[in-house]
Amino acid sequence: MFKVFGAILVIGGCGYAGLKMGWIYRLRTDTLRLMQNGLNLLETEISYGATPLPLALRRAGEKLGGETSIVFLHSSSLLQQNVGFTASEAWSAGVQRLKQEVPLTKEETSILLLFGNGLGSSARNEQLKNIALAKEQLNLAREQAAEERARHEKMWQYLGFCLGAVIVLVFI
Amino acid sequence: MPRVVINRKPAGTVTGGLSSKPGAQQSDSRSSWLAAMTPYLRNTLQAHLGDCLEEIEEIRLRINRPLIIRLGQKEITITAEGEVTAELSCGLVLTPQEIGRNLEILSQSSLYAWEDELQNGYLTIPGGHRVGLAGRAVLDKGALKTLKDISGLNYRIGREIKGCADKVVPFVVRRDQICRTLIVSPPQCGKTTLLRDLVRQLSDGVASLGFGGVNVGLVDERSEVAGMCQNQPQFDIGMRTDVLDACPKAQGMIMLIRAMSPRVVATDEIGKTEDLDALNHALQAGVCVVTTVHAGSLEEIRQRPVLKDLLRNRFFECLVFLSRRCGVGTLEAVYDGDTLERVR
Repeated sequence: MFKVFGAILVIGGCGYAGLKMGWIYRLRTDTLRLMQNGLNLLETEISYGATPLPLALRRAGEKLGGETSIVFLHSSSLLQQNVGFTASEAWSAGVQRLKQEVPLTKEETSILLLFGNGLGSSARNEQLKNIALAKEQLNLAREQAAEERARHEKMWQYLGFCLGAVIVLVFI
Repeated sequence: MPRVVINRKPAGTVTGGLSSKPGAQQSDSRSSWLAAMTPYLRNTLQAHLGDCLEEIEEIRLRINRPLIIRLGQKEITITAEGEVTAELSCGLVLTPQEIGRNLEILSQSSLYAWEDELQNGYLTIPGGHRVGLAGRAVLDKGALKTLKDISGLNYRIGREIKGCADKVVPFVVRRDQICRTLIVSPPQCGKTTLLRDLVRQLSDGVASLGFGGVNVGLVDERSEVAGMCQNQPQFDIGMRTDVLDACPKAQGMIMLIRAMSPRVVATDEIGKTEDLDALNHALQAGVCVVTTVHAGSLEEIRQRPVLKDLLRNRFFECLVFLSRRCGVGTLEAVYDGDTLERVR
């Protein structure tokens, strides 16, 4: 009885770890897609409303929802506190907060940080160009993440359960 | 190095002139303009100027040149060691990075949102204060499009001194009638501050004169009088005042008369030819005009193209002259516009 219970626990635990690994690939692609949506919202605020950045970021974050909104909401809150943060620093802090939630790769993080460097400090058309460039780079990163997901998501899901079964077989 | 002794006074008191009236109050505008500076400059000013922050009229930041602070007619600086001195060359030298950071913070990292303001060379920050900008002009088909490579910032601290128009109001309001009034002074003598308080009193009424208040239309072309920020006046301009913000004066006066039917139209710094048409329009509509002009004397007004016509045609019924003789806003003289005789 104990053996059966232990075997279920081992297979379940390893299977969960595998599912979690697969879920990380999904989360990355979803985050990159949502980030593109967020930049679309920011673009609208900047191009049509000429909304000041703290408010534009907050509105984009509120409409976006989910983990990705943390970049927009956190950077907006830092700018609104008026404690001397520039847009680039506030955005960078927001990206660091996102990284705690979503395991983004170095390349994906650098796209976001590079975008933040030009945020708010130039004329409207320059801002829109910066957003368009970031969206394009995020699109490429998302395609790459989707490819990796297609290759690895299922593999990790099966691998987890298989590894659990192997461990059970070895120990029985 | 000569050290500067600053008279430390409790907040709310000001020196001389119109503002010396005991009942005059100065609103606490300290935090609003400090918030538009980098933490470094903010802390430096707070640490070394303390109570005197209230007396600051201008702060000039220029790339690779020292910080200059103007308190009344006195210019001072703060050294890297934190000493307050009148020896400006010893002052804290500002780096391009510090100026850039200041610009970012005061524009809320949203330069794109202030393109119109940049075209005019200044930004209005919460509290109604203005920051003038100097940099490289970007032209589009010969017209100024914007400014870039900002090299100098000038924080002009707006003052609200409630009650500073008390001495002038009896000349402007006569037996429930409001006189067309021109406030005359050289720059930085308190014209705008006086106009703001006059607008407030005309709008809210003056109990001591038995005057109940009227609708006032304010054309604030340079956002200096009301200091509009996110649709809200940053100064008390009265409960019956409508503001047309950042609108050209001549156009704005006509718009307000048509749209809001005010009894009084107030505006700052007239002098262009097109202003003449707008003033005549107001006269025909039976609307009083209260306005200001840069000039040092009556003689100077008589020599100005537009103003001399207004004076000859007896457009203004009351002329108020200010100076800095006994501090900002010293009431020098009041002339009757019809007879051009001095009545005070």
